[in-house]
Amino acid sequence: MTDILQILLIGAALGGVYALMASGLTLIFGVMRIINLAHPIFIIIGAYVSYWLFQLVGLDPILSMPIAAIVLFCLGIVVYKLIFEREASSAKYSEMTVLLTFAVALSFDGLLGVAFGNIHRITSPSYAVEAILIGDLFLPKGQFYAGVISIALIGALVAFLKYTRFGYAIRATTQNRDAAQLLGVNVGLVSTITFGIGIGLAGASGALISFIFSFFPARHWEWIALLMSLIVLGGMGRLMGAVVGAFLLAIVSAFVGSYFGSTWSMMTFFLALFLILLVRPQGLFGAKME
Amino acid sequence: MPDVAPLLEVRDVVAGYGRGPAILNGAEMTVEEGRTHCIIGPNGAGKSTLLKVVAGLLPARAGRVTFDGSAITGLRPDEVLRRGICLVPQERALFPEMSVRENLRMGGYILADRTELDSRIDEVLEAFPILRERSGQRAKSLSGGEQQMLTMGRTLVLRPRIVMLDEPSLGLAPRIVRQVFDIIRLLKDKGITVIIVEQNAVVGLSNADLGCVLDLGKTLFEGPADGILQDPRIRELYLGKRAGAA
Repeated sequence: MTDILQILLIGAALGGVYALMASGLTLIFGVMRIINLAHPIFIIIGAYVSYWLFQLVGLDPILSMPIAAIVLFCLGIVVYKLIFEREASSAKYSEMTVLLTFAVALSFDGLLGVAFGNIHRITSPSYAVEAILIGDLFLPKGQFYAGVISIALIGALVAFLKYTRFGYAIRATTQNRDAAQLLGVNVGLVSTITFGIGIGLAGASGALISFIFSFFPARHWEWIALLMSLIVLGGMGRLMGAVVGAFLLAIVSAFVGSYFGSTWSMMTFFLALFLILLVRPQGLFGAKME
Repeated sequence: MPDVAPLLEVRDVVAGYGRGPAILNGAEMTVEEGRTHCIIGPNGAGKSTLLKVVAGLLPARAGRVTFDGSAITGLRPDEVLRRGICLVPQERALFPEMSVRENLRMGGYILADRTELDSRIDEVLEAFPILRERSGQRAKSLSGGEQQMLTMGRTLVLRPRIVMLDEPSLGLAPRIVRQVFDIIRLLKDKGITVIIVEQNAVVGLSNADLGCVLDLGKTLFEGPADGILQDPRIRELYLGKRAGAA
């Protein structure tokens, strides 16, 4: 019983971080129908921002998280304006963005490789190697902090979407872009800012994972499958779906990793992706596809 | 012709989609304040396109649209909306995952004063008691008629001067269509000018004061709706009835 609780605890803490990693991806898809294959490379950039701030000025990654989020928000706006905005009215926008974001991912991967090399790095604040003990159970402090902060950030995002005027505009644009425009929403501005917020969330999650996982530029290829499985399970474009998907798969993968070895842990996400697409392609919370 | 200056005028408008051929080829329309207008014509005549040009969703390649004496040609949709012109498009333009109240709130998106917005939403809910009953429900859970009621009620939040309805009865059962036209009469009673594009021309014209016949992007005739209903040539060409038939 203790073993099961232990696995549940670790899976849940990781689920919070996965949820934050996926939240920006699903938000961007919901509003703009951009399948952002470059999302994980932005997470890696966020991780590098925190890593270097820790290395150079000793800034704790939790404290540098807002800086990573702001830097990535600005980068997101620039990328959107330069690459995605001009094609936004194209009928084949969604399909085109798969190739465009693939190219963006390759470009940043190359740039980061040249700048920092493909060396495994990890930010190492003291809590990254400490644990919280609850009776017979233990929880790595780093995962606990990252999980709690991720959930708090997602809560703030949900409140922003639910209660602010701009949040209404984002939700309206997600659900019916033309109707939103008819009611006076500047959907171009909403798209730009939402892309920035999505990439900013990638930056924030990058800062948090920088002390949980080792990272290097090419690692984003591993994470895109993981993130896609989370948002496909929840229903593409559904924020709460991505959160539920993240917790479910993180816990299942923790069990798989514990009973069958860590090699199989990652397979959970790939298998889940195949199964969802075969059995329920609209995901748990998505509308049925025509 | 009206004694007073028209509220909205469309003059010699040419418009089309992207680089495609022009759908409107010199369309004209004169809209009088407080009256209900019905635009009829065959499929592809440019009826919906004309509404989109007025709403600012589609730029005019040539021609002029004036509202209350000022040119509105080339204004953005939100700028047209701020002047009091609302378009209710053909497909029900709701936000399915939002509640009825949230949909109404989106109707007043351009209003900055939240208290004022809340009071206007309450006014609309008072006018449509069924929406008040369902105010916490998601829009997608409403029946087709209720959804159309919500779409039209939502326009009232802005207290518009003109409401343009594109095929408001499309896909609705006859009983619901009657409810929709009851709402249109309610809009008129509130002093709102209504422009309807209606595939069912007889129903549309029967509920309108004035009519406009559009074909191949040109305005063929404008005048009193009952005059259009009685015109044998128009009846044969656009109302699907032989001259002399009842």
